[in-house]
Amino acid sequence: MSGDGAVTNGTESGITVTVKSFATFREVMETQLVLQLPGGATVQTLLAELTARYSGLGGMLFAAPGRLRDYVNILKNGRNVHFLAGLDTPLDDGDVIALFPPLAGG
Amino acid sequence: MDGYAGNMVSVDLSAGTVAITPTPLELKREYLGGRGFGIRLLTDLVDPQTEPLSEKNTVIFAAGPLTGTGIPLGSRYEVTTISPLTGTASSANSGGVFGWKMKKAGFDAVIVTGRAEKPVYLLLDNGKAELRDAAHLWGKTTGETTDAIVNELGDKTVRVSCIGPSGEKLVRFACIINEKARAAGRAGMGAVLGFKNLKAIAARGDLAIQAADEERLDLVKERVRTKIQENGIEKALHDYGTAVLVNIINENYVLPTRNFQTAYFPNAESISGETIAKTILKRPKGCYACIVQCGRVHEFDGEAGEGPEYEPDWAFGPDCGIDDLKAVVRANNICNEYGLDAISAPATIACLMEMAEKGYVDHPIRFGDAAGMLALVRQIATREGIGDELAEGSYRFAEKYGHPELSMSSKKQELPAYDPRGIQGYGLATATSVRGGDHVYGYMISPEVLGAPEKLDPFVTEGKAQWVKTFQDLTAAIDASGMCLFTSFALDAQDYADLIAATTGMPIDTTELLRIGERIWNLQKLFNIKRGFGRSDDTLPARLLSEPLQEGAPAGQVWRRDEMLDEYYALRGWDAEGTPAREKLRELGLA
Repeated sequence: MSGDGAVTNGTESGITVTVKSFATFREVMETQLVLQLPGGATVQTLLAELTARYSGLGGMLFAAPGRLRDYVNILKNGRNVHFLAGLDTPLDDGDVIALFPPLAGG
Repeated sequence: MDGYAGNMVSVDLSAGTVAITPTPLELKREYLGGRGFGIRLLTDLVDPQTEPLSEKNTVIFAAGPLTGTGIPLGSRYEVTTISPLTGTASSANSGGVFGWKMKKAGFDAVIVTGRAEKPVYLLLDNGKAELRDAAHLWGKTTGETTDAIVNELGDKTVRVSCIGPSGEKLVRFACIINEKARAAGRAGMGAVLGFKNLKAIAARGDLAIQAADEERLDLVKERVRTKIQENGIEKALHDYGTAVLVNIINENYVLPTRNFQTAYFPNAESISGETIAKTILKRPKGCYACIVQCGRVHEFDGEAGEGPEYEPDWAFGPDCGIDDLKAVVRANNICNEYGLDAISAPATIACLMEMAEKGYVDHPIRFGDAAGMLALVRQIATREGIGDELAEGSYRFAEKYGHPELSMSSKKQELPAYDPRGIQGYGLATATSVRGGDHVYGYMISPEVLGAPEKLDPFVTEGKAQWVKTFQDLTAAIDASGMCLFTSFALDAQDYADLIAATTGMPIDTTELLRIGERIWNLQKLFNIKRGFGRSDDTLPARLLSEPLQEGAPAGQVWRRDEMLDEYYALRGWDAEGTPAREKLRELGLA
């Protein structure tokens, strides 16, 4: 994990992020929730928290430990974390994280 | 047998005659079917200077070798003609059951020339074809027309592809509808049939469609079936329909809103695929041989129908500033009944909304006015009041009132549901599309937003030209084969080549598959060049090149045409004006 543990703008002890889920992820978790995380938290930290809370979510997110399933997309404030630092992408206070299972249309 | 029905029928509406001829081997070998047959036959039969709405324009209905063979998602047919909306050689693709029935009736293609004196319909019937009087069908909706033909033939196995009142009224973006709700939607195919007084084509038959190597085909079928069933993307299409895209496109801040003035719609959830699934969805529905079933059958408040697909859901919704799902669905149903393209109709209304708000047109409509939007759809469908002007499409309408820059179109066809400012490769694909504003001639949303087959950074231009070319060529080949484009989320070029080779017996590998696609693309391009299209047409509305997005991750982005277009032309073997070099044409067997 990256991050130096520094608190980013949030409360003294951590940060607050909003998590949104979509499509089949809603079968196992809430549509939207607000989470408190420690300063220095990353996407990995967040996913660990979520998979601990929601039974079944881990299998939907991960193909293997630390490796997301194909076509799962995680956005941080509208930017796919794949183009940031992946699961090591640091989270900031007030971030909105959107979780999408594989999907398509057109 | 080779997967083909074996015959084509040429219909001369002016003379009232039909002529049945064998499907030429060379045509199969070089163009496969569908869109390939369409553009080859259009090129051979029609002077490029022909007016779209004239007796001399020709319409080609063509299925592919994989249509109706029992291959999963092998259901498609394509309609090709000179578009009255764009002026380009265009094609539109539809699923459902009609394509299969056309082949069971004995025909790979129907070639329609001339113009009937009075309304007629064409019956394809177990190897025979005849024109029949359709005076009693004129003015009827697509649903009424379908039911009337099925009833008068007394045969519920008949399948009908027809126009509604909008095609009769020559709305420039009128479409063709089969089985009441499947659309060959774009580019105004319905207006060309309306001009020709051809109300419908009905097909019935039980002729055999056999593959060259049934044993080998069964093995490939099983392989592709497994890949489709195990692919997570295809599951989401089944569960939520294509409108499952609403939220992911919105959360990427690239959902065009209020005529592309912004790209984030705060109430997107209210019209999302997830909301549709838990409110109005009665059941999913598939086309012939479909194992995905992305179609939606809905029922609420006495309203019943199919859809909405993602594109009309967006266009009647966020693009018009509307978050009323029921109004969106009603509007979509009107489009199906009257035979209107459910992208161009609402996008043209969104254009009017912006012009009215800015005071360029004196009209009470405003963004978010669902009742007003519904009234306008009906007016366009029948060319009543301002609907008569809007029926010309957003570009001609906006130009008439002095503001063509407010038409969100390319080559005068309205753009689909993605903002190119935040998806650079998609912008290149739609700007260079040979049929104008479009998303399914090279679906770059897949790698740039959905991450399939791999994740490409949507903000980056580098490398996108090659991706766009490959996607466009592969898509042309898939369309020609008769397969549904949605299979491409799960299958690769090898799968398509194996399916085609086993079905037709022709030596098709991945190289040849892409070569066929490239041949189709270049032939369509050549036709357009002869109609006067060039580099300056391969672009998008000025707003998208000069007004940066304001919200979310893509804030500050514009679409960067100049970083990609020259490279794209070079990769295609075209000169700086976008004209194919002689060497490229020789390579493709076109010179």
